Amino acid sequence: MTLADFVTEIGDSGPVAVQGCRTRWDVGGPLDPSARLVTAPSGIVDYLPEEMTVTVLAGTTVAELNHALLARGQRCALPDRHGTVGGAIAVGENHTEVLGRGTLRASVLQVRYVSAEGKLVTGGGPTVKNVSGFDIPRLLTGSLGTLGLIGEVILRTNPLPATSVWLDSVDADPFAIASIVLRPGAVLWDGTRTRVLLEGHAPDVAHDRTALGGCGNWTEADGALDLLPHRWSLTPAELRSLNGNFVASVGVGTVWRDHPQPRRELSEPVRAISERMKANFDPTGRLNPGRSVC
Amino acid sequence: MDLGINPDELVTCMQCGLCLTACPTYRITGDETYSPRGRIALMREVQDHGAPLTSEVLDAFDTCIQCRGCEPACPSGVPYGHLIEQTKASLTQQRHPALRSLLLRPLTMPRVLRVGSSALALAQRARLVPPPIARRLGLPARLPIRRPALRSTGNDVQLFTGCVMDAWQREVHLAAKAVLEAAGFGVRVTGDDAPCCGALHLHAGLRDESQRLTDRVTAALDPHVPVLVDSAGCGAHLKEHSGLSVFDIQEFLAQHVDRLPTVKPLDLKVAVQDPCHLRHVQRAHAATRTVLRPFVREIVELDDDGMCCGAGGAYSVLEPEMAGQVRDRKMSSIDRARPDVVASANPGCSMHLAAAGVSTVHPMELIAQALKG
Amino acid sequence: MSDLVSDLRAVLGDRVRVDAAQRALLRRDASVFEGGSAGPVCLCDTTEEVQQVVRIAIAHGRAIVPRGAGTGLAGGAIPLADPVIVSLSRMNRVLEVDTDARIAWVQPGVVNLDLSKHLAPLGFHFAPDPSSQQVCTIGGNVANNSGGPHCLAYGVTNAHILAVEVVLPDGEIAVLGGLDAEPAGYDLRGVFVGGEGMLGIATRVAVRITPNPPAVRTLLLSFATTREAASTVSAVIAAGIVPAAMEVMDQRIVIAVENYVHAGYPTDAGAVLLAEVDGQSGGVDIDAERIANIGREQGATSVHLAEDDNQRALLWKGRKTAFGAVAQVTPNYYLHDTVVPRSQLADVLDQVYEIAERHDLLVMNVFHAGDGNLHPLLLFDAREPGVYDRVHAAGAEIVKASLAAGGVLSGEHGVGIEKQPYMSMLFSDDDLDHQERLRRAFDPACRANPGKVIPEGHSCADIQHLHAVPEGVWG
Repeated sequence: MTLADFVTEIGDSGPVAVQGCRTRWDVGGPLDPSARLVTAPSGIVDYLPEEMTVTVLAGTTVAELNHALLARGQRCALPDRHGTVGGAIAVGENHTEVLGRGTLRASVLQVRYVSAEGKLVTGGGPTVKNVSGFDIPRLLTGSLGTLGLIGEVILRTNPLPATSVWLDSVDADPFAIASIVLRPGAVLWDGTRTRVLLEGHAPDVAHDRTALGGCGNWTEADGALDLLPHRWSLTPAELRSLNGNFVASVGVGTVWRDHPQPRRELSEPVRAISERMKANFDPTGRLNPGRSVC
Repeated sequence: MDLGINPDELVTCMQCGLCLTACPTYRITGDETYSPRGRIALMREVQDHGAPLTSEVLDAFDTCIQCRGCEPACPSGVPYGHLIEQTKASLTQQRHPALRSLLLRPLTMPRVLRVGSSALALAQRARLVPPPIARRLGLPARLPIRRPALRSTGNDVQLFTGCVMDAWQREVHLAAKAVLEAAGFGVRVTGDDAPCCGALHLHAGLRDESQRLTDRVTAALDPHVPVLVDSAGCGAHLKEHSGLSVFDIQEFLAQHVDRLPTVKPLDLKVAVQDPCHLRHVQRAHAATRTVLRPFVREIVELDDDGMCCGAGGAYSVLEPEMAGQVRDRKMSSIDRARPDVVASANPGCSMHLAAAGVSTVHPMELIAQALKG
Repeated sequence: MSDLVSDLRAVLGDRVRVDAAQRALLRRDASVFEGGSAGPVCLCDTTEEVQQVVRIAIAHGRAIVPRGAGTGLAGGAIPLADPVIVSLSRMNRVLEVDTDARIAWVQPGVVNLDLSKHLAPLGFHFAPDPSSQQVCTIGGNVANNSGGPHCLAYGVTNAHILAVEVVLPDGEIAVLGGLDAEPAGYDLRGVFVGGEGMLGIATRVAVRITPNPPAVRTLLLSFATTREAASTVSAVIAAGIVPAAMEVMDQRIVIAVENYVHAGYPTDAGAVLLAEVDGQSGGVDIDAERIANIGREQGATSVHLAEDDNQRALLWKGRKTAFGAVAQVTPNYYLHDTVVPRSQLADVLDQVYEIAERHDLLVMNVFHAGDGNLHPLLLFDAREPGVYDRVHAAGAEIVKASLAAGGVLSGEHGVGIEKQPYMSMLFSDDDLDHQERLRRAFDPACRANPGKVIPEGHSCADIQHLHAVPEGVWG
């Protein structure tokens, strides 16, 4: 399947939605059953490690992309939740290691998507730096396919750190890590246990490890803490007053819990802009009907 | 109206705006009318496009302190000082030049200035000068009634004594002379042979009169002997407009600092306030620190990148409101540095800051005091 | 129409400028574009004042144009058809700094470098460092999504803005984004950054503050050709190193700089690469060593590691005074801004030299090589008749050459008026139509900074309607 086939298949009328691996199918509300389901093309179109960019079709799985990047010593900002690249971008959530990898939104350089009118539209550009026109990639990322159906993206990649290690402690203050470690890859905390990802050149990691010794006893761990199913978005300061079951990304504000976050209301002017945005991009409401970011 | 500005100088400004934050009046107002780029654009509007001289336009030019802080900030080397001097000169022709000239006349007559100043000092003691007027004139809190004698001791260097400073702050000259002598220089005091350098006249737009005064100074002094100036404004003017071998006194001593005796430093934390015409025009402000460092406990820098204090020669008298606001900004910077005393190498700055309650002193006075022990 | 001024004065008192000469100052920004005309200039002090000014402008059928320091190079702040100018430079306070959360709330008129100076005693800085950083404002940085040499590793402005309080083009006040990890809804904050003043007016900005790195290493590598310097840049990235900055200067600019500031640059080199790595001392030594080795492999004739802060400051002084150095050669220059894939840098540079020569212009190159962000400087003397035609013709060809190499129109200056005519070379009609839809979601009536970015034919047509200001209103 090519991008052109994807355009044809979506066409210019009738409710339609893209399905990837359906791992995040319920985010933004249940899909209207009238929607016709299409799948996006898959495959890596062009990978330029020396440019730190990769052009990838939306139906490619994140795992497949990561595999290709790993082979050239690179990584990206997409979280791997067993889904597709298009799905990850449509949902817009950051990687657990966002401190080290950067935000997903900053990594999407160009999007090519099918509009409600059935046209292939390009936003952004292929270079790592670009302020040519309004930032359509930022708008489409996290829009749950309500403004356009993503077929292909160009992503920024980054070199893998020379070394990395997860450390675990039950007596450390997670909020003190930022003043000890210059650039941690992640700081996770479940209320008792703190798990820190150190990455970089070996001497720096060793230095950080020694420095961390001043604030607790640490043992090596084989990865991140196990996350809970429901993702919350809080301010970094709000994490201090958490209780119950949770895993929090300290310094970021993302929290994984066993129950969903209460609906976050948009302010009236923001709601008005969002509604106009939806109406301007999808006047007939055919894209992912039933789902909403609001 | 033709401001008489050379178009070749005007073309050098590309309006990049990198001067904006170096300008004290832009910093205060946030209004480009009161910025170097804005003022240059106004010069173009007036000279090239016939814009009328509205009160707004005149105010923009009048409020320029001529600190020339914009010149080091300018990547294109725009001769801003020259542009604004020319503009002010052309505008003065239109606006009571005789009155301005009259007001500055005492500066050219040193004896009259000293006698008048002493009379003013007596009036001050008798509380005949209402404080608001004294403030408006920027008068020192206590003008001297009598001045100690200042006599030549040699001819290795010429110490330029000037006009107002000699009348009001002769103790600075004495200190400068003492420091020079401690370094082994015989000092010729220029005295009444070479009174006013003409800097204030040029600021006021009286260019021809200014040049006549400068020429008088040039003629009275020896071109082969270094002329040392302890007032940064006068020094800058003489460097640019006289044919003499002119040095700021700190600049000169910085080259001979090893000739000064080693003494116990004063137990003071000193903030150096760089006079604009030392920093931006002479670009010799580093010397103040070199010379002063061995003689005080600590030198602390102000955090405002050498922004003008608002004194600007007669500016603080002519534009008291803006001058006060610019000074307020400087005062907050001084407050943050928490010095025991502020050292300024320009009498105008010293008086302007002292009028707001800052304890000011000339660097030469500090060194002279340390040398005395 | 004079009601407009009295309505504005009722809100702002004497902070409204209507004198013709004063308004003439704001016809331009730092670009070479003429043809602007400003309506009343409103010096606002608060969000509420901005809101009231916008509402008054709406009531009088006038467009609004926000203005910071006016240092933009693409004409983005140039007012078209006498709009009400909303000047934000007086709103220059740092409102709150939270080093725990690494956030500062600032007003839009805060000068970029002033913010970093404010943060310095706390051990932090604001990472985007455009060349105009001593003057340009955070509001302007937000509008242009500004870059700078150190954005290679740290990212451009968008990566450093968490939330923006905005007076929308309809006069409503909204906070876009938020301090939480993943704010709900569409990423309107991300879209607003780089909106070139067409999506509303920022009145309060939450910026991310970055800890100062404990160790920095700065290398100066000399090459016989710009091609070798450019290939070294690609090789460094390919080796998995992302330095804090990688700047290339060609021989012409090195000579100009060296004559100007004596920073110790080699004038006999065909090009130099200034590379900086920062972080912790162990890692920066490793990366500096690797960059040095890669440079030698690529043909570097000398590799010099700055020995101390003074040497490093001197090298950066040379880089940062490049524009001043150019002014010693000719009175005027036109600074271009395009981005190409790093692998295309050397080829595009060859074309840039050829284009300039064909138009009988001198060109010098100093650029953010690590990002592929070219900044050719076309040198000229504005007094020479017809020179602007040649400058613009050469500029157009440079843009076309960059696009042909797979590049984009602008890396950090924005589109404004300058690149508007080229937008349809990079984007299809459908692409542009979608950008206009995005804009109209914020500004259905096209009141905010109209006539920019989106080319005519794709944009609101009401700019013509805006031209219908009665003659002589401004006397």
